[in-house]
Amino acid sequence: MKTLIAFIKKEWLELIRTGKLILLIIISILFGIMNPLIAKITPWMMEMLSSDLADAGMIVSNFKVDVMTSWTQFYKNVPLLLIIFVIIMSTILTIEYQKGTLINILTKGLQRWKVIIAKTITMIGLWTMCYWLCFLVTYLYNIYFWSVHNVADVLWGASCIYILGILCISFIMFASSIFQDNYAVLGVTGGMFILSYALSMIPTISKYLPTQLFNSMSILTGTMQIDQFIGSILITIVLSFIAIILSILFFNKKAI
Amino acid sequence: MAMLEISHLSKSFGQNKVIDDLNLSISQHKIYGFIGQNGAGKTTTMKMILGLLPIDHGDIYVNGKKVVYGQNETNQYIGYLPDVPEFYGYMTPMEYLKLCGDISGMKGSDIQEKSVELLRLVGLENVNKRIHGFSRGMKQRLGIAQALLHNPELLICDEPTSALDPVGRKEILDILQSVKGKTTVLFSTHILSDVERICDEIALLHEGKIKIQGTLEEVKSLQKSNGFEIDFLRSHDADAMEKEYAGSQRLNATRLYYPSQGEEEMLKAMNMISQHHYRIQKIEMRESTLENLFMEVIGK
Repeated sequence: MKTLIAFIKKEWLELIRTGKLILLIIISILFGIMNPLIAKITPWMMEMLSSDLADAGMIVSNFKVDVMTSWTQFYKNVPLLLIIFVIIMSTILTIEYQKGTLINILTKGLQRWKVIIAKTITMIGLWTMCYWLCFLVTYLYNIYFWSVHNVADVLWGASCIYILGILCISFIMFASSIFQDNYAVLGVTGGMFILSYALSMIPTISKYLPTQLFNSMSILTGTMQIDQFIGSILITIVLSFIAIILSILFFNKKAI
Repeated sequence: MAMLEISHLSKSFGQNKVIDDLNLSISQHKIYGFIGQNGAGKTTTMKMILGLLPIDHGDIYVNGKKVVYGQNETNQYIGYLPDVPEFYGYMTPMEYLKLCGDISGMKGSDIQEKSVELLRLVGLENVNKRIHGFSRGMKQRLGIAQALLHNPELLICDEPTSALDPVGRKEILDILQSVKGKTTVLFSTHILSDVERICDEIALLHEGKIKIQGTLEEVKSLQKSNGFEIDFLRSHDADAMEKEYAGSQRLNATRLYYPSQGEEEMLKAMNMISQHHYRIQKIEMRESTLENLFMEVIGK
């Protein structure tokens, strides 16, 4: 346990000293602010554009925004936050292969599975911090500007996207245990989503796929219930576990 | 019991057989030179000892325990210094040694004490800057400190001096010599003067096999005669001797070299010099060197 904690500490020190932590925190806060801000300035923007739009034959009148406009922005922006997170963290293991920094660590007796687990825990911690920070900033602004929405629905909806982040992390580790190049890691992680989207064309299985979780805004609008997401939540969690277990198995056999 | 025992080790990369039925035994508290050309398979062998590369055939035992690829149990006995040691550049030397100590399972107080001692040994005790600003020599010295941190019984150094200037090389060799007696050192290199300077025993790796193995003296004694040299005072004496006693190579106007000839032949030459009253400055057998032997073995 001591060795695992030591390696996790090293990972966090790396995030701090390479500037990744502060960068992701700033981006998360900016996204958090952007959601209510865009909602707030939309009527003003529409008013500014109304004369141009009128020339084009479009009439804008009584454009109203509410808390749902802000949450819609949140659900549009968090996939972008997730993409930025994946791009920044995709090098977490590949850079160690490329630089050869793991050789000293492994020859010191650190068990290989601890490398995978320490990096996974670090990324989950970072994703948790960034995602919920973004959520919290949006949520507090929403309370300030508008009203308190049903907190349970808001949390359930947000948790669905959070779980997708965990799946991305597990696929980053899975791909990193096989490939030495971070483009391959990005390819595998992105490929997983493309495959999930492709499979969602089949109506009978679409509700069990991870990408179904991107529709969790529907919980807030009331068009879908939380129990309609349980299948995809469970599948996503199981897939994450499988990816981590496979990462450990592949990494144990990887020539370094 | 041998500290390191390698038996019938083989390793191929595709069709290329890098290690072919290699057998090696290293006893405790010796400095063992592992020599060979670039690409001879030294690093591959070391990585297999460390469990970083899979073994095709054969077995490796460290301190009596079998090395299993992908598992690190035997690495608790080993300190490893790679040819180009790489560190986390954002850390200071002390932070890096603390990480290594924690990973090795050392106690906090021991890590602190040992780190200070080792940083003093390698001359980095007052260096508090981050590692990314280190020179190659500083990284090599920090590499030795991290390798010795957990008091390993076997220290494996992969060409630790090959990219260093003469001062850096001397420093590293002095450090390695200072741990002799406490730690067994396996030291790979193609710089033969380094081997002659610090190694007790050597093994010469060529085409994936150990061609020669033994103490430095034993190995040198294996070499065929190196021949002898005669330095004349007058060039016409050298000309006359060259005609009189065939088989020489002319090194310059007054020097002749008789390759692959022994003491008997040298005595014969001395008699001839005395009979013809040639005037010479010196006549001497060429010293047996590891370099000559190395060239002989690799056929160059």
